[in-house]
Amino acid sequence: MLRIEHYSKTYPGGKKAVDDLTLHVRPGEIYGFIGHNGAGKTTTLRACAGVMDFTQGTITIDGHDVKKDPVGAKRVTAFLPDNPDLYEFMKGIDYLNFIADLYDIPAEQRTKDIGKFGDAFELTGNLGSPIGSYSHGMRQKLALISAFIRRPRLLILDEPFVGLDPSASHLMKGFLADLCQSGSAVFFSTHVLEVAEKLCHQIAIIKDGRLVKSGPTEALVGDSSLENVFLELEGEQ
Amino acid sequence: MKKFFALLKVSVKSMLLSSTNTPGRNRKKAASGIGAIVLIAFLGLYLSGLYSFMLMEVLAPVHMEVLVFIFMGIAALAMGLLFTTFAVKGVVFGGKDNDLLLSMPVSSTVLMTSRVTAIYLENLLFSFFVLGPAGAVCAFLTQSGVGHNLLFWVRLLIAVLALPLLDTALSVLFGALVAFLSAKVSKGGALGQNIVMALYMVAVFWFSFNLSGMIEDLAANAAGIKESLSWAAPILWMGDGILGDWKLLLAFVACCAVPLALVVFGLGKVYRQAVTAFAARSARNDYKLSAQSASGQTKALLVKEAKRFFGTPMYLWNCGLGLIMLLAAGIAALVMRDDLRAFIAMTGGLLPVLPLAAAVVGFCLCTCIITAPAISLEGKYLWILREAPMEESALLWIKVGFQLLLSLPCTVIAGVCIAIAVELPAWQGAVLVVSMLVFAVGQAVFGMLMGLCFPKLDAVNETVVMKQSLAAFLGMFVPMAALALCGLLYWLGGKIAEWAALAFPVALLAVLTVLCTVILVKRGPAMLKAL
Repeated sequence: MLRIEHYSKTYPGGKKAVDDLTLHVRPGEIYGFIGHNGAGKTTTLRACAGVMDFTQGTITIDGHDVKKDPVGAKRVTAFLPDNPDLYEFMKGIDYLNFIADLYDIPAEQRTKDIGKFGDAFELTGNLGSPIGSYSHGMRQKLALISAFIRRPRLLILDEPFVGLDPSASHLMKGFLADLCQSGSAVFFSTHVLEVAEKLCHQIAIIKDGRLVKSGPTEALVGDSSLENVFLELEGEQ
Repeated sequence: MKKFFALLKVSVKSMLLSSTNTPGRNRKKAASGIGAIVLIAFLGLYLSGLYSFMLMEVLAPVHMEVLVFIFMGIAALAMGLLFTTFAVKGVVFGGKDNDLLLSMPVSSTVLMTSRVTAIYLENLLFSFFVLGPAGAVCAFLTQSGVGHNLLFWVRLLIAVLALPLLDTALSVLFGALVAFLSAKVSKGGALGQNIVMALYMVAVFWFSFNLSGMIEDLAANAAGIKESLSWAAPILWMGDGILGDWKLLLAFVACCAVPLALVVFGLGKVYRQAVTAFAARSARNDYKLSAQSASGQTKALLVKEAKRFFGTPMYLWNCGLGLIMLLAAGIAALVMRDDLRAFIAMTGGLLPVLPLAAAVVGFCLCTCIITAPAISLEGKYLWILREAPMEESALLWIKVGFQLLLSLPCTVIAGVCIAIAVELPAWQGAVLVVSMLVFAVGQAVFGMLMGLCFPKLDAVNETVVMKQSLAAFLGMFVPMAALALCGLLYWLGGKIAEWAALAFPVALLAVLTVLCTVILVKRGPAMLKAL
């Protein structure tokens, strides 16, 4: 579903954020991407989502090259940044319809999905209010709903659990599992290692822009815990 | 005081960076930004010098130089009010850094004072640009030796520094009132805010028209005019003070400083409450989901632009004022057509009616700068458009298209109304409308290019982006310079033949429009991608 081949990103000034990263996410997989602050996680996710340009390597999503066919790649992808800023001058329902229009989602399907996810996240009643009046958690839920109604082939999430209450986090994990069962894939970054350990089929650990370890969660963790593995790799234990 | 200056530095830096872009990141851009500001400053000084000269020529012979300072003082006050009242809501009460700064161990009065000082500095620019040239003209034109000694310049400097205090006091007071009424009328809804701002604009225009009526009667009754301005006593004191009366000058300074102190300390006491109340938005939780309808990408993006434009009063009234002016100019020309025709007849056919009509429509279009701040306004929301399955070029052209959807019909209405009002022959009416439509397209595309060249994606305040960003400055003043160039070509062409006088400016507008369009097509998408 997602193929990252020899991807590197150097920022103006010479700092290498990501160095020769190769990583594959298969359909039906939840792939966790972990690393310390500034390791290159967000840079990688943004490049995959087509939000940020890059010069070295190739990234393909469901067969669409992000550089050569960005529109095709974006059509099958949904991306949520770590702190999704949404148009404050719009009402929640207007924003969902705006996104649905951009992705050509039929009226009937969007009505059904907005109802389903809005009710689940207990946000339907607030959809008539301006986003400017929403709390941080409500904005996060709205952003998640806007991602789920796209029924993406690949869902890219940057720190999706930040700002969500425990019940919303639980719900989201369920929806991510459902999405994967339908053949889609999820690629997300997180600092919550317990969640990654329980939720992910595959995990990659990145340090200073280089992939230091990756593989199936069970094989990676073994008899230890993801936290121990991570700290060992980070050289802190 | 240390805290005050630290806060002031943040406010001023944010203002300056939005005008000159981020120095260091791109020196070429920073240099061109500073160059543009110098150009705008030169234009400001030139225009105010020209008006001061025209007034002084009439008034110096009757020893009423004081009226020049009074009128220019009132002009500086009106300009400051017009430009900074709307800024107050955003800069003083609505900064995105409110949460951060209010949580710090700084009294709210100090925080408010630092932000009000930023407004004062902006008003100081108006005061300098308007009163400075008046002083220079006075020194050269007056016959009674006024302006020929150092003390005159000291008094003028005191007046230049003091006048913005009064301007700032009034701006903050009116700005707070507008913000308060807006919040009350519809609990922060855009319609209520737009109504309040429309009423304010009507009041400012009514005042300006009355002022121009006074100037018309100037030569006939200069002394009477001064008496009739008794309602503006502090400005009269300023005029007399600049010309030598120290007591009146001190009275004027007191009249400027005391109201500002009262406003700052009065509002400073309730600053936290005011910030909270003005930022409050109505929130409901009784929405019932019904069947949704679908539309295409283009319509969705156009509707989004419309929601931002009409739903953000600051955007509508700062960047869309030209649209209202176009309609007002067209309707006013039709209503006053008899006066206009009589005036044209009085000039005996010497008045270049077509170019003047084009200048009026063109000037109004120049103040319609919806595309120029459009990229900066995306700011933190840019990721939404970037991840959307659309080509970058489509995103840009939709923004241009939105401005054209509004400006083209207004241009046609204004052009046709003015052509009818001044009885232009049909072919000249057609030239007027077509040339202005071409200009409208070029101006919208140029604004988009400026937005891409000088984006300000991290502004702490949207007001700063709309009012003070380099893109907005250039989007307005460069098309004005193009119009001035057209005027020059009209004059030069007139020396060759009548057809050349019209063909040269129209050709220039067409070439510039095509040039801007080609650049946007070829470079625009890559520039957007690189942001």
